[in-house]
Amino acid sequence: MSTPGPHPPAAAPPATTAQEEPRRRLHPLSPLLHGAKSIAVIVAALSWQTLSRVGLERFTLVVLVLAVGVVIFSIVGWLTTGYQVVGRELRISDGVIWRRNRAIPLERLQAVELRRPLLAQLTGLAELRLEVIGGGKTEAPLSFLTVREASALRERLLALAGPATVTPPSATGPAAAFETTAVERPLLRVGNRDLVVSQLLTPQAFFLPVGIAFVVMQFVLEGSWTFIGIASTVTAMAGVLLQPVRRVLQDWDFRLARDPDGRLVVRFGLLETRSQIVPLNRVQAVGVTWPLLWRAQGWLHLRLDIAGYAGEPGESKGSDRLLPVGDFATARALVWDVLPGVDLATLATSPPPKRARWLNPVALRSLGVGLAPEVFVSRWGLFTREMHIVPYARLQSVRVVQGPVQRRLGLATVYADTARGRSGQAKDRDLAEAWALARELAERARLARRPAPLLTDRLDPSAVAVPASGSGAVEGTVGDTMENGPDDSYWRRPEQS
Amino acid sequence: MTEPQSAAVDALEPWPDTVEWRPVSPKLITVELIVRIAWSLVIVAGLAVGWALQGHWLWRLGILLVVLNAIWRCFVTVRAVRAWGYAERDQDLLVRHGLLIRRLSIVPYARMQFVDVTAGPLERAFGLATVQLHTAAAASDARIPGLPPAEASRLRDRLTALGEDRAEGL
Repeated sequence: MSTPGPHPPAAAPPATTAQEEPRRRLHPLSPLLHGAKSIAVIVAALSWQTLSRVGLERFTLVVLVLAVGVVIFSIVGWLTTGYQVVGRELRISDGVIWRRNRAIPLERLQAVELRRPLLAQLTGLAELRLEVIGGGKTEAPLSFLTVREASALRERLLALAGPATVTPPSATGPAAAFETTAVERPLLRVGNRDLVVSQLLTPQAFFLPVGIAFVVMQFVLEGSWTFIGIASTVTAMAGVLLQPVRRVLQDWDFRLARDPDGRLVVRFGLLETRSQIVPLNRVQAVGVTWPLLWRAQGWLHLRLDIAGYAGEPGESKGSDRLLPVGDFATARALVWDVLPGVDLATLATSPPPKRARWLNPVALRSLGVGLAPEVFVSRWGLFTREMHIVPYARLQSVRVVQGPVQRRLGLATVYADTARGRSGQAKDRDLAEAWALARELAERARLARRPAPLLTDRLDPSAVAVPASGSGAVEGTVGDTMENGPDDSYWRRPEQS
Repeated sequence: MTEPQSAAVDALEPWPDTVEWRPVSPKLITVELIVRIAWSLVIVAGLAVGWALQGHWLWRLGILLVVLNAIWRCFVTVRAVRAWGYAERDQDLLVRHGLLIRRLSIVPYARMQFVDVTAGPLERAFGLATVQLHTAAAASDARIPGLPPAEASRLRDRLTALGEDRAEGL
């Protein structure tokens, strides 16, 4: 199993065998780190109850034996794992019992993430994760590499993944490669105080005191203050109640930047620092959320939809944030940066016809769609308001669906599908309007596809300042029943012409 | 959204002047009916065994309901198959289907990731095949059942050819 050897693809005439490079191994410390992770999992699986039943010594013994086994297994795994870049492919081979060789075509690369869990931070290592279209989960996490190695590999993969003609702009000399990290243009930094406050303003955080009071009451009444009892109760509660804490830890020190090639660089995390690089033409959609409890602050949340992040159940919403918390002006500037030409403050949406009330008795007013020059906008949600912004260039298909009740009312729903699960949807539109909308979407998507991707163009930095300067222009058009602040595009209607 | 159309609009017939819909093969009706009746027979047989063993009147009611449902669904099937339709336009493929819930999909050729042509044993016996177009979005459904094999492979070849012309990944 340890005969790696770079076997060159025998039947590949165009392959440049001259630059075939040797297969490389991961860092020698990685089996230990993997082992540590598995041991934590084992301890969690054995749980407090086992500890109380078998006693501390035997518990430690069991854990030790398992730990040694895990480390040996990881070492064997490390010996059999290797990677190499061949042409425009990354080849990874791994597996102990079932060997696996996979070639990842880099044109399909959506985003690359560099993750450093706590232990990796202590040892100066990092994990490289590639997001590829169609992967059920993150493909091929390369864990672990040294930080320098990982970022060099990431730069290389992204350069290979870019359009084939990307070489000229960066060919300013050999020094350019080192300069790249220096000329990064910072976009924003989320204050940690805001982050903590925002997570305190979540339903879970409100529930926390109640939960604690409940536990304390229980113990006071029963009078049993055993360590095991408290520990197991706390672990049980942690799963639900500690989500805000986890969010804070995850989003700590959130920073955004643009690298010289115009890609988006996202860095965040306290215990596990993560840094993602997302080419802008890989952004499938942007989601804006106004949670109910954040309204007093006028805060919102921006989400980035990238095709690769299909997996990671439970974490799927969190792994691709664009702005964990921020005010409208920040979000507006950011959206302008990510989707050039899209001004969050001018996105107008119109509601469905009145008779759709039968289907949406409560939330009719909060439904709406709009066709902006570059994007399709839809909004919904009464308490947690959400807005979904899909660039026409990223539309995969358009669907019109009409249910039996909708048929009675002469309504239909139009879906604009993107490569990421959630579709933009125009709920309960008038049928004629729905057809017109579908046709318009298909047409605009076709036009947006045809010229060389417009959104990848680098925007000159001066233009970014324009929408961020002031949101005063919006104030006049916000209607009478809108209870919200002037700089809230959620209720904005198109101008009557 | 833009211009309100004055003409009468039908959920299955958008843009009647510009789109030429093609139906699926009527043989699909037979296939669907066989499948439906076979299933009903299996369920009825199960219920009949229960009736024979226990003799409770609820079993008979069950059988009656299944038979009535099968008869009704057979009528629906005939109409549902007639409601299937597809149209090839310059840039995209249109697929419509459904009676109770009516669906229309517009899938641009450029977004095609791969094409599936499948034919089950029953479909093969009747000389039919199903073509399905996949895009990167899981939600988009462009499935055309009940195509004669020649038409299915023509469609597949045309779709792949058009997809190659305009492909650009995502």
